[in-house]
Amino acid sequence: MSNSDRVRVRGVTIHRPIIYGNTAEVIPLEERQSSSNTAHTHRWTVAVRSAVSAPDSDIVGGADDISYFIKRVSFKLHDTYPNPNRNIDKPPYEVTETGWGEFEIQIRIVFISDCGEKPITFYHHLKLHPWTVDGSGEAENPPPEVALKAGPVHSWQYDEIVFNDPFQSFLNLLTAHPPTPLPKAKRRPVPFHTANPASFADTKAGIPEFSQVMIQEEAERLENARKQVIAEQEKWRTVLIEKENELARLKKEMAEA
Amino acid sequence: MAGGASAADVRSILALPSPSTPGPSQPKPTAPKTARKPEGISRELYSLIGPSAPSLTAQLAKPRLKQKPNLGRGNKVAKWRVLAFVWRVYVLKEEWQEFSNPGRADSLKLCHWVKATTDPTAEYQFAKYNVPSTVYTYSQDEYNRLLEDKDWTKEETDYLFNVVREYDLRFYVVADRYDYPGGQPRTIEDLKDRYYSVCRRLIRNRPWAGDESSKVQLVASFFYDKDREVTRKKYIASLENRTPDQIAEEEALYVEVKRLEQNERRFAKERDELLKTIAGVDSGLPGVAADDEVQIALFGDPKKKKKGGNGMDIDSPISGPSGIISLGPSTPTRRVQSAKSVAYDALHCILRSDVMPTNVPPTKAAHQPVYLRSSRLPMPKASMAPKINQALAELDVSHTRLVMPTRENCSQLEGLFDAAAALVDTKKVVDKVDQEIRVLKARLAGRASVGARSEGADADSKNQGEQAEDGERDAEGEAEGEATEKADRAVSVAASVRSYSRKRSKRSASVSSVDTSTTSATRASRKRQRN
Repeated sequence: MSNSDRVRVRGVTIHRPIIYGNTAEVIPLEERQSSSNTAHTHRWTVAVRSAVSAPDSDIVGGADDISYFIKRVSFKLHDTYPNPNRNIDKPPYEVTETGWGEFEIQIRIVFISDCGEKPITFYHHLKLHPWTVDGSGEAENPPPEVALKAGPVHSWQYDEIVFNDPFQSFLNLLTAHPPTPLPKAKRRPVPFHTANPASFADTKAGIPEFSQVMIQEEAERLENARKQVIAEQEKWRTVLIEKENELARLKKEMAEA
Repeated sequence: MAGGASAADVRSILALPSPSTPGPSQPKPTAPKTARKPEGISRELYSLIGPSAPSLTAQLAKPRLKQKPNLGRGNKVAKWRVLAFVWRVYVLKEEWQEFSNPGRADSLKLCHWVKATTDPTAEYQFAKYNVPSTVYTYSQDEYNRLLEDKDWTKEETDYLFNVVREYDLRFYVVADRYDYPGGQPRTIEDLKDRYYSVCRRLIRNRPWAGDESSKVQLVASFFYDKDREVTRKKYIASLENRTPDQIAEEEALYVEVKRLEQNERRFAKERDELLKTIAGVDSGLPGVAADDEVQIALFGDPKKKKKGGNGMDIDSPISGPSGIISLGPSTPTRRVQSAKSVAYDALHCILRSDVMPTNVPPTKAAHQPVYLRSSRLPMPKASMAPKINQALAELDVSHTRLVMPTRENCSQLEGLFDAAAALVDTKKVVDKVDQEIRVLKARLAGRASVGARSEGADADSKNQGEQAEDGERDAEGEAEGEATEKADRAVSVAASVRSYSRKRSKRSASVSSVDTSTTSATRASRKRQRN
């Protein structure tokens, strides 16, 4: 590698959209009985993928190969699993397991050595049971037969890996692999997210997909909230000014009395 | 003669062909009358129309007849009116209707001609043009934080805003009526400057519902440069005050300058040519400024000066377009990116920012490591976080997670936090003022009741005494009521946020479960009551 490549490009911030999360489905009873571990009710897959879904694919995201900047993804499962640290060095970065309970999975992304960045670590709550309207999941879980019919449960979080002042070589590498832009229109259901309870209706509609509509929709949601807050504040300001006038009047009265 | 003329007029008004003369030409007798240029029509227009368009000139001349009810023509005026009436009722199918103008504050009833088919209860169609100007108001807190000015007291500023509101931003009237007791004399520029600067500061510092550019635009519309205005007016005044001699001299000087300049240029040219023919070199001497623009910029175009002197833009609230442009969102330092590079950056998810050139060599420690966007979500100020989070929860907005944590959405969230913080702040102040009011009321009531007991008889003070006793009971009740109301609030908060427009007789609760100081405040005032 030439020396000029090891120069950081100042003032450049470049990000790559990813998603992480899991899908889970109920294991049919007959299969469960034949397996070694009868207590495991669900089969789940936890994964880190590119945000865009490939057309006609039956998984969420993963259209782009993200191995050009990722060296390894480690999933740290619950301690009760045999060798809970699963290191995945090649795409697809995912772990498929069976189990009966939800827990926090620690995900650690190690970048290629050329980029000179430290690994990042974050958590994902493994979601096995269907979403409920309030998104808490605290409600009673449906019996396995119902859950089986309802289809797989999806829990995905969109995020962006942000690189600041990347090395020239790394920047070249990244720009050589532009991510496929998110689809402009909504083609498939919206992935459910607790921050957007309105998307609950889509949870039963099949394999979700991330799209730009979701970004705009969220921007609008925040914008509306802000407008409401500001309208509220205007109202309170009027109240305040009225009250201040009253106070001034009272003070005058006090002085006169 | 008159009868014949009016018959022809009727025909022309009703657009009927004249029986005797098929053309539009006017019968002879009226010719001398129409040949005179009627008022309210410019000479140029009149010469275009000519005397051969009787109906038009007759109509244009009509207001003049009305304005000068001449006894000799009275008969004719009456006939015109009758005709107009007949025309309206039978041809245009119009009616003389009374209407109320919602744009008026008084309930003055006026009448107008409208199509008979118009609904008499329909809103007056021109009412919408009565646009009330919004005059900003500010709280004491805002005044303390933003609007302090050594030349102005809060009272005088309040007075100014009241006068401005009363006279609907008509600053000449405002300046004329402005009479603040005990204040120093203010010119119209002083008033405008204070008013616009207050508005600007309020807009800049209040949370803004729209996007940034609309805010910049609004701030720019309140731009006012007092010094510039004063200079401008002085300049106009001096321009207008020139004597004819001075004007003549100035023109003469200008012509002289022009002539000298031309001579010089010619001389330079000749010298250059001469040098070229002799030595074949350029003179190398700096040529006289070859462009007139420089001269015009220096001396000013006398023609333009004259135009400016007409006082056409004396009253412009904004002192010139240049001011707006310079305040615009485009900053010259910003690198202009081509559309192509923008598309490239969008494709590769690149964000470029201007780097401050530093002497310090970049160190490893200074480097901001890679991160997940969601891990850098904006956070509300720690001191207000619980209240802000609560307020946002009522709006169904998660303050910890975003569905799509893109850069834009993160900054949206930040804007929301700012707005919420401002709201929480305002409420705090409201609570404080509320408490002060309560304390003052209690003290007033207490004083009045003492007065009532000692003096006894006076009806007025007796009345006050009753109020005071009520006040004591009220204060107790209020404190308890407050507690129950609070419980109410917690439940109804979310609902009232969604329909904040709904009028509530009590203090609208909405996000007010946020406030906590009220309870302690009432408790305090209750204690004082007991003492």
